[in-house]
Amino acid sequence: MTPERWQQVSRIFKSAIDLDRDARAAYLNAQCSGDASLRADVEKLIGSHQQASDENFIGGVAAEAGAKLLIDDALESQTPAIKKGQQLGSYLILDPLGAGGMGEVYLARDSRLDRTVALKVLSPDISQDKRRMQRFRQEAKVASSLNQPNILTIFEFGEIEGLTFLATEFIDGETLRDYLRGNRLKISEILDFAMQVLAALDSAHEARIVHRDIKPENVMIRRRDRLVKVLDFGLAKVAEKKASTMQAEESEAATAFKTAPGTVMGTVNYMSPEQAQAKAVDERTDIWSTGVMIYEMVTGAMPFSGATTSHTIVQILEKEPAPLGNVPAELQRIVSKAMTKDPDERYQTAKDMLIDLRSLKKRLDVEAEIERTSSPTTPAPVAGTEPGKRRVLLLALIAMAVVTASILAFNVWRSSRSRTGSSVTTPVAPPVERTLTYWVTVQKFKDGRPYQNPFPLAGEINFEASYHIRVHIRSPEAGYLYIFNEGPPTASAPAEFVVVFPSTTANNNSSLISAGQVVPIPEKSWLEFDKQQGVEKLWLVFSTQAVAELDGVRQFASPQSKNLITNVGQNKIVENFLATNSTIKPELEKGATLTTVKAQGNLLVYAIRLEHH
Amino acid sequence: MTQAPRQHEITELLAEWRDGNQSALDELYPLVYNELHRLARRYMSRERKGHTLQTTALINEAYVRLVDQKNVQWANRSHFFAISAQIMRRILIDHARRHAYAKRGGGAQQVSLDEVAAVASNCGRELLRLDEALKSLAEMDPRRGQVVELRYFGGLNNEEIAGVLNVSENTVTRDWNMARAWLYQQLTGSGAN
Repeated sequence: MTPERWQQVSRIFKSAIDLDRDARAAYLNAQCSGDASLRADVEKLIGSHQQASDENFIGGVAAEAGAKLLIDDALESQTPAIKKGQQLGSYLILDPLGAGGMGEVYLARDSRLDRTVALKVLSPDISQDKRRMQRFRQEAKVASSLNQPNILTIFEFGEIEGLTFLATEFIDGETLRDYLRGNRLKISEILDFAMQVLAALDSAHEARIVHRDIKPENVMIRRRDRLVKVLDFGLAKVAEKKASTMQAEESEAATAFKTAPGTVMGTVNYMSPEQAQAKAVDERTDIWSTGVMIYEMVTGAMPFSGATTSHTIVQILEKEPAPLGNVPAELQRIVSKAMTKDPDERYQTAKDMLIDLRSLKKRLDVEAEIERTSSPTTPAPVAGTEPGKRRVLLLALIAMAVVTASILAFNVWRSSRSRTGSSVTTPVAPPVERTLTYWVTVQKFKDGRPYQNPFPLAGEINFEASYHIRVHIRSPEAGYLYIFNEGPPTASAPAEFVVVFPSTTANNNSSLISAGQVVPIPEKSWLEFDKQQGVEKLWLVFSTQAVAELDGVRQFASPQSKNLITNVGQNKIVENFLATNSTIKPELEKGATLTTVKAQGNLLVYAIRLEHH
Repeated sequence: MTQAPRQHEITELLAEWRDGNQSALDELYPLVYNELHRLARRYMSRERKGHTLQTTALINEAYVRLVDQKNVQWANRSHFFAISAQIMRRILIDHARRHAYAKRGGGAQQVSLDEVAAVASNCGRELLRLDEALKSLAEMDPRRGQVVELRYFGGLNNEEIAGVLNVSENTVTRDWNMARAWLYQQLTGSGAN
């Protein structure tokens, strides 16, 4: 827009918005006489003005919206800088090693025992929480009792000059994460690393310690001999505790806490389904994460990875990862078993998984040996062996090769059979099931403006009249979605429904959503409720086919009528439809902030209930 | 309370700026930036349990600390607010930019398992987009750009803005409506150019 045009538009705009509809039309006619594009510009701007004020666009103050950014910084600046050459008790700081989830790590020299240690100094926001520190102390104590070569040894947990620290053995090496960056791993190396991780887990699990955060960042590879060390046993729980207490204290500034340094919960990518849903976890969660890690070592990719955290979680809960590709079928079997969604179907102990990996490793070693000795390019004469004995040895190797080849052939046959799928051999149709995952974000309003930060609706909350919400919905498959709001029942009046979806403010007014699409409803503003108290229902209807009975509701989806179905007949149709189709209770999986609804059959009907006080 | 070291100097710089010396602003800027930034961080670390950041309270405090109160004219105060709004904008945008870059990239997502976090991490990016749109607005129409800056970044109400810009409150309201509608159009992509 040129400055002249801008002046023109703004002059007409400022008078026009004070006029009512008819007067405005007349005014625009007069002012824009014949200039259709000028008129269009002004009308668009008037429309934007209306929407901007409806949505309270930039209605708050930037600093409130940006408060989170400032808090991050404030927390960072609280972390005291520890300098090279500084003496902390008996520790002389030699070098910073890096920053972890719980604080900074330094290379230090312990003058008492004249040994080099890694000194992890906890960030103040963690060490200032007494209850959590108590717990941390306990965990560190138990973890330090673990005496296994693949577990990083904890020397001391203490406090110097107000700083809480953890002194552990120092490993000259790199994390598996860094190692993966530079190397494509051989199968034998992958098995070797995995077995060492499982050996560490086996001994920790025996002591009833669950790691909870197995991932390449927590596995160190020693430079000189590739010895694996698993880090941070017992720490994940402390970090996790933090997040859940935060949730309990859910309040205005909680948003900021959650991403503040030190509260980072790691990645969701390695989380087991039970962990992703914030259910109770046990040793088997570590087995899952180890499976994910092996998968990553083999393919270089994550088995479960979505565009956002929520997408990833949904994948963890619902998707089967792509096969590993060109690897021994036995390895595929082991990884699939480790990553079975139901913990009861998984490897039950680290030891079982370790045993399977060990025998696979042995077999592959033997095969490699045969390959090597039978290969004509490497004749490798065995010095000092008599000709007769050597022939016997060769025969034995050949016999083994035949056995191995048939095992391989069997595996190839078996995997190709499983690939061609059940359609050929076992024509069992999978049960038809519809799935929806949803979460609700709440925005408090005060004096008609957003007030404080939005938060997720998780579990039971007192739903106040000032709460405005946005519903996010996603389905793993494409289909037709309808959402209705039914207010608290009244004795006299028949039920009336509000069409929440399809909507003029979401998904381009279409009721068809695509597979995996996250649909925010409404996209930009919030849904608000009237003052009437009681239980508000948000009815979700989802099907892969358009629902004929609900076809007529779209015409009521309009901001003018507040999306209310004003036609008695149509209300009756919706009411009957919901009543008849909601008799089968869908299965619910409630996570910390996500709920997944599954229903047998082609049609899913479910009501989200909001207690409205 | 320790007194800011260059109180007298800042008061003079404000006066010079008001009298049309633009280079005074260059000197003033870093001083006020540092003070506001320090205060904002202190506020946020102390009051993170449930208090929202009161921008005007913050600027007031900076003003009291930075400006020699015995030698002050009221006009200085509005100038101070005007520059403070600008600086609050810079502070937030600097933070947002740092966040937008710091949190980008890497295969695995750093998360706290929470939709709220996602909402919050968006706020940085949204601020950056708004800032860009506001720059274009200010090019076409400096005064309306300033109204948005004073209100949204400086936390001033229309009456205060009217004082700073020396126009009527009605004008501020109209400017605000127009500017907001235009910014909305830019950010939602719903408008003509």
